[in-house]
Amino acid sequence: MNVLLLAAQVLAAEVGVNTEPPERIVATFGVDWPHLLAQIASFCIVCFVLYRFAYGPVLKMLEVRRQQIAQGLANAEQIKAELARTEAQRQEVMAQAGVQANKFIEEARAAAARLREEETQKAIGAAEQIIVKAREAAAQEHDRMLGELKREVGRLVVQATTTVTGKILTSEDQRRLAEETAKQVTTSP
Amino acid sequence: MKINKQAKREAKELFRLCLVNGLLDEQRVRQVAQRVAAARHRDSPAILSHFGRLVRLDLARHTATIESAAPLPADLQAAVEAGLGRRYGPGLTTAFAHRAALIGGMRIQVGSDVYDGSVRAGLAALENSF
Repeated sequence: MNVLLLAAQVLAAEVGVNTEPPERIVATFGVDWPHLLAQIASFCIVCFVLYRFAYGPVLKMLEVRRQQIAQGLANAEQIKAELARTEAQRQEVMAQAGVQANKFIEEARAAAARLREEETQKAIGAAEQIIVKAREAAAQEHDRMLGELKREVGRLVVQATTTVTGKILTSEDQRRLAEETAKQVTTSP
Repeated sequence: MKINKQAKREAKELFRLCLVNGLLDEQRVRQVAQRVAAARHRDSPAILSHFGRLVRLDLARHTATIESAAPLPADLQAAVEAGLGRRYGPGLTTAFAHRAALIGGMRIQVGSDVYDGSVRAGLAALENSF
């Protein structure tokens, strides 16, 4: 009350109006002090109830939501950073894998070339051995055929001689041959 | 038939008893064979078997088989017999045979000794040389 009167006096002094007694002003505005105090008390109670059961939980909920959003944004940033780092690692791994793959390919090519060279040498050796064996087999076959030919010729010669000799041997020839055998008996050791 | 050493020894001894002046006496051989067969000893079959083998070998040693492509004249046969007698001694039995397969020449076999001067032998040697 005193504060309101003091404020009215200060305001009147500043604007240059004449000041009137406070009781007149209160009467002019129809202020009913008990009624005003009751309204002030009820207003304070309402404010307290609203603050306690409405604004408080809402603000608390909003604060929680804000913290969740901030946490979500922070998580998103973290995920984004993690994703970027992962992508960088992936790129690095891919690059290393590419280098390693190139290295393996080169090694595989070198091994293949070496193996091809070895197989080529083996094939050449095997072919040479086959050629040598074939030549030996051909030589053996040639010798065998030559032997068979000799035996066949000999058989034919003997057959022809057998056929002819019996007819051309005279009695003197038979006697001479028999005498040679008889001489062989006496002269042999 | 399995012939033990004892039977062989006895057969050999009997065979020696059959020799007269180094020649086998046919009469003694017959007598020995009859005696051994009549004895009915346990080793009689083995002894007789080995005794027969010894006799066969001796006969082969004292038998000359002369084969010729053409029949030999008498003088040549006599010459051959004389030559064989000088080489193998007396008691040699000779048997002449005509064998046209020899083509020419003569073949003489005494025991395990062979003198082959036939054309067939020469041709066989020629065939083997190829």
